[in-house]
Amino acid sequence: MINLLRRLGFAVASVILVHALAFFMLHSTRGGPFESNQQFSEETIAALELRYHLDEPLLIQYWNSLQGVATLDFGPSLQYHGTSVQELLSAAMPISFILGGGALLIALLVGLAAGMFVATSNSRWRVTAVRLSGSALLATPNFVIAGILISVFAFGLGWVPVAGHRQLSSWILPCCALGLPLAAQLFVLIQHHAQQARNSNAYRSAVARGLSARRLNINYILRPSLTPVLAFMGPAAAGILTGSLVVEQIFSLPGLGTFFVQAALARDYTLALGVTVVYTAILASCTLVADVLIMKFDPRTEAIS
Amino acid sequence: MKSANKFPRWQALLLLSICLVAALAPLLPLADYSSMQVSQQLVSPQFTSSPFLGTDAQGRDMLARLIYGARISLSVGIFGTLVALLIGVPFGAVAGLGSPRRDGLMMRLADALESIPMVVFILFMLSVLQEYRIELATVGFGRLQLFFVAIGVLFWLPTARVVRAECLRIKKKAFIDAAHSQGMSSLHIFRHHILPQLWPAIGSMLIITLPRVILMEAFLSFLGLGVEAPAVSWGRLASDGMATLNPLVDAGWLLYLPSIALVGCLLLFQRLASWARDYVNFDT
Repeated sequence: MINLLRRLGFAVASVILVHALAFFMLHSTRGGPFESNQQFSEETIAALELRYHLDEPLLIQYWNSLQGVATLDFGPSLQYHGTSVQELLSAAMPISFILGGGALLIALLVGLAAGMFVATSNSRWRVTAVRLSGSALLATPNFVIAGILISVFAFGLGWVPVAGHRQLSSWILPCCALGLPLAAQLFVLIQHHAQQARNSNAYRSAVARGLSARRLNINYILRPSLTPVLAFMGPAAAGILTGSLVVEQIFSLPGLGTFFVQAALARDYTLALGVTVVYTAILASCTLVADVLIMKFDPRTEAIS
Repeated sequence: MKSANKFPRWQALLLLSICLVAALAPLLPLADYSSMQVSQQLVSPQFTSSPFLGTDAQGRDMLARLIYGARISLSVGIFGTLVALLIGVPFGAVAGLGSPRRDGLMMRLADALESIPMVVFILFMLSVLQEYRIELATVGFGRLQLFFVAIGVLFWLPTARVVRAECLRIKKKAFIDAAHSQGMSSLHIFRHHILPQLWPAIGSMLIITLPRVILMEAFLSFLGLGVEAPAVSWGRLASDGMATLNPLVDAGWLLYLPSIALVGCLLLFQRLASWARDYVNFDT
């Protein structure tokens, strides 16, 4: 329990730390968000800065911003006039969550299936083929996978639309592009543990007791390899975050990643800050949940930590 | 160190020859990689006659671009990795060799850094530093150098962890106690008794980090924060190919050729990395 509280404190601290770092980094840059628009007169800029409180001392701005974070109010977007960051985020978040969830699902299904296949199959060349494609996926950038998927399934075969998010079928390609590299990572992890399980005495004695192949595979190979899958959730969340920056742009999905890249390039302080904080919070909570689940499923880890 | 773990000789040789071709690129009879020829736009690969690997949308020779791209991709990989090691090795050594209290504190810090979405942060940093490019250029800090720093910040953590673990292991050995009892200074012990034992771990971390760095370069190139216009890297070429992807123009080779080069090279590095991982016998 104390452990849990400490981890929770850790998560909150990392959000505050990231917010502070991002805030001061953004505000220390020369050139405000309005300077790229040449048509603004000096008076207009002064008025805009007054309106968005950019003229106040930095520390006060920081304090206001931190209070905003606590109440999930990130202020108005500097780039999209008349819209608050909160509105933009709440519009973008469902899209990113569906994308991330779909990618995670694909990663789990494909990764587990491939890992189990390699651990249980006796056909040597099939195992080699699966392994090789796993390594190839690990070495391929997200956007190349997306490009290949688009040119084969959207342009070539015409099965799914290229972009958009209105139909269910248009989600398939982005989720695959984001999920497949993760599946490869998971595959490598699972394969290692599944093979250990297969070489264990527990497995051998189960074989000797004459259990069916199905029960052997599920109870003696799959189950012991599931704890590392839980531990994988933290890195997986990070991978999905990183990948979504690229994948959302390619498939023109108006999610968090697209907003973040745009905001960072256009120096939309409040929006970029909001997305960064949300990202950190998501990552921290994923790690937290994974840790808690691991402790639940494998009490040995609690004893160690 | 298992005897079954053979050094991947062919893969290493292939990589070495790729590096050699990249290094000798200015001496090879290649077309200019940056000169545009309007009459030669989007020629598909001919394989037997020039242009062997086709041309891009501006009529630039793809073979030359690929080879010059290898120069940047590989050197970014090597230097970026070196920066990561320069941060990670001292951090790990200081943590691993210090008092348990200091060690615990530094590792807590590392844990905290791990839970930050670093890539988002680096993007932030790179876009902020774009503002100061002129000032930075006067002190010899171009896009590439900035990039190395960003890579170093992104990839030093695993190295620090491995080096720390190795230090903890070596520290307990009897000959370190013996050295202490002979009154040697800590610095002397580190340089002559600990550092030589760290080299295998550091070397393998170099090989393990390198492919990740090259992949990261491709990622940043796609977002427009990689190498700058006249220079080419595989990541940039692939993302250019991605940009020309279009159902009306058949120019798939613009995406596939750099991708094949990138993925092939990374596969070779991965093979070397898995050998190195087995050789020093640790998980990352």
